[in-house]
Amino acid sequence: MIDRGAARRIRAIAWRDFRYTALTKSFLIGAIILPGVMFAAIPLLPMLIGSTSPPLEGKVVVIDPSNSIANALEKSLPKTPQDTIDLEDGGPNSGPTEVALKVESVPDPARADEFRLQLRNSSLQALVIVTPNTDGPSIELLVPSEASPRHTTILEKSLREAVTRVRVEQAKENYERIIKIMGRAPIDTLRVSPDGLESKENAQLRMLVPAGFMILLWISVFTSGNYLLTSTIEEKSSRVMEVLLSAASPIELLTGKLVGQAGVAGVMLLMYGGVGLAGLGAAAMLDVVPLPHLLWLLVWFPLAYFTVAAIMVSIGSAVSDLREAQSLIGPAMLLLVLPLMLWMPIVDNPNGMLATVCSFIPPAAPFIMILRLTAANEPVPMWQAWLAVLVNVITVAAILWAGARVFRVGVLMQGKPPSPMELLRWIKAR
Amino acid sequence: MKNIVIQLANVNKRFGALQAVRNVSFEIQRGQVCGFLGPNGAGKSTTIRMIMSILLPDSGVITVLGGSALDAKDRIGYLPEERGLYRKMRVADFLRFMAKLKGISRSDADKRIRWWLERIELPSVSQKRCEELSKGMQQKLQFIASVLHEPPLLILDEPFSGLDPVNRRLLSSVVRQLKENGTTILFSTHQMEQAEDLCDQVLLVHKGEKVLDETMNQIHGRFDPRTILAEPSNSIEAATQALHNVADIESFRWSLEQKAFEIRVAQGVDTQLAMASVMRATPLRRVELQRATLDDVFVTLVGGSVGEIESAQKSGKLQATHD
Repeated sequence: MIDRGAARRIRAIAWRDFRYTALTKSFLIGAIILPGVMFAAIPLLPMLIGSTSPPLEGKVVVIDPSNSIANALEKSLPKTPQDTIDLEDGGPNSGPTEVALKVESVPDPARADEFRLQLRNSSLQALVIVTPNTDGPSIELLVPSEASPRHTTILEKSLREAVTRVRVEQAKENYERIIKIMGRAPIDTLRVSPDGLESKENAQLRMLVPAGFMILLWISVFTSGNYLLTSTIEEKSSRVMEVLLSAASPIELLTGKLVGQAGVAGVMLLMYGGVGLAGLGAAAMLDVVPLPHLLWLLVWFPLAYFTVAAIMVSIGSAVSDLREAQSLIGPAMLLLVLPLMLWMPIVDNPNGMLATVCSFIPPAAPFIMILRLTAANEPVPMWQAWLAVLVNVITVAAILWAGARVFRVGVLMQGKPPSPMELLRWIKAR
Repeated sequence: MKNIVIQLANVNKRFGALQAVRNVSFEIQRGQVCGFLGPNGAGKSTTIRMIMSILLPDSGVITVLGGSALDAKDRIGYLPEERGLYRKMRVADFLRFMAKLKGISRSDADKRIRWWLERIELPSVSQKRCEELSKGMQQKLQFIASVLHEPPLLILDEPFSGLDPVNRRLLSSVVRQLKENGTTILFSTHQMEQAEDLCDQVLLVHKGEKVLDETMNQIHGRFDPRTILAEPSNSIEAATQALHNVADIESFRWSLEQKAFEIRVAQGVDTQLAMASVMRATPLRRVELQRATLDDVFVTLVGGSVGEIESAQKSGKLQATHD
């Protein structure tokens, strides 16, 4: 039971830590405005990337004894910038590109070296060498080494279409008619909620939602964890620690700092989460974040925060500057970046062996579990979810206990940082 | 027992191979000002940190205000040796924060902050950031933080170090005022004049051990004065010649400050007999035994190891007239 005096001191320390972290200009700019601007810029990115594409112009030489591919290529090349998007079918390099290519057909294969030389001088955009075979022509596309990947993709796809056009025409069929017959059928997938609401399926967004939850948890927890680390180091190096310890016990000081920074993490979670939900709401896609996902976030947030915070504050208390802290943070960070590295395979198969095993490895577990629980394709067995919560509650208790013991000794230590063995001795000390 | 504010019994503290505090015991009575003296590295700050429950002793018992300092933090004011402030905080905010930690209400804290900033001659700094203050100002600010909650026990670790003479005098007057108001004060210092001026009791530690724990009166009585001040009524030259022939004295020199000879009495010679010999040798306008200063006691006691001090006491170099 905490007495009133201790509660008052914890409150005072927590409020100071919160106020001098979250209510400062640097926090407003660094943690709210800049990420907010970046977040707002995400929808603009494809447009910005697309608009920067240079035009594809110049000459393409096709060495083709039959002269059929060169003619077909001329017909298959995109006529308008919009055609390049359709050609790439929304692929990673898609974007409107101006195409103004002149196709020159050369029937003599002996002139290949002459055009290779021109290609090396960049006076050619591409050289296509068609070699007739019994089962159809084989085609080599040569481009200058500095050619843009987007230009290469346009050329490859136009060539592929040209070959198909030649095949269709050789079969005495009408190419445009065949394309119309083979055209992709438009299918709209709709998700129907238990209350009968129908919404359009967005598979890519559904893959991104678990990552969004995990990154939200990661950023809020690590930003405040980092503040905890630096503020503890600052209090040690500016010698204010002893003044604080004359007014509060180490446990009160530690608790106050943890509570204060929990507030900072909570503000970040609400800010970023709120902006994310508002964005989804504006796009009428709130259904991709059902209520249970948000409730799970509330369960895992404190577990993730107290795990990371206890690690950060104990490291901060044990060292005298940030450089020393890096060497101690390294091993913990290896485990903590695990969810970032394993995001794709875990979301792809949230009940696979990898995902299940990682769910019980602290301190990465909260981040892995939020990935699994918010992945839409398969529900996670509830016994696993609650067992992971139990494992993490025990882990948090153990880390806080060890962190408090390190903190108690470390805050008054100056000089060289402790070795892992010394840290163990501090934990075991009376 | 009710009047004992701080009590240490057989306290030990070791850091690795270094025995920082060795079997230290002492008591400080309510309302006393106790000077905690000792050379650098003697164990003063470690002892103070143990009194504050910032460090735990390896063995021994420490009682502060009838219990552990952890339970009495709101009733103790502490100025640590290492000065520390939140650099980016404004002065008033820092003091409000410290007041809040000590259980003072916001309105009360604001009144006290204004009063103390005036008292300590820092009236216009309340809206400045701590990092904008000079080192001396920061030290005074920390002093305010230690007394803002009007604690019955005040522990000051080197409160005068780094201050100019004007501010040293100012802080001395504040400490004296607190003493008059009944605050029990334990302060460590290297400033012997300040200690002599302010203290009722003196504790001296050396290499982690207590070597002296007495009141100022006991110290003045215990350490036999060995210097005679003699103001000649004839010329200095004549008096100098005469003093050369006195057998009971070890050495002498003319003190411009005292306008008299400072005559060191030879070892083993009774000071009264030596004084009579000097008076017989040359006519004097004034003769007196110079009181042993705290500075003399400090230098004598910590000039060698504890063993050397004991042997010095046995050989009569330090003659104890009272026990």
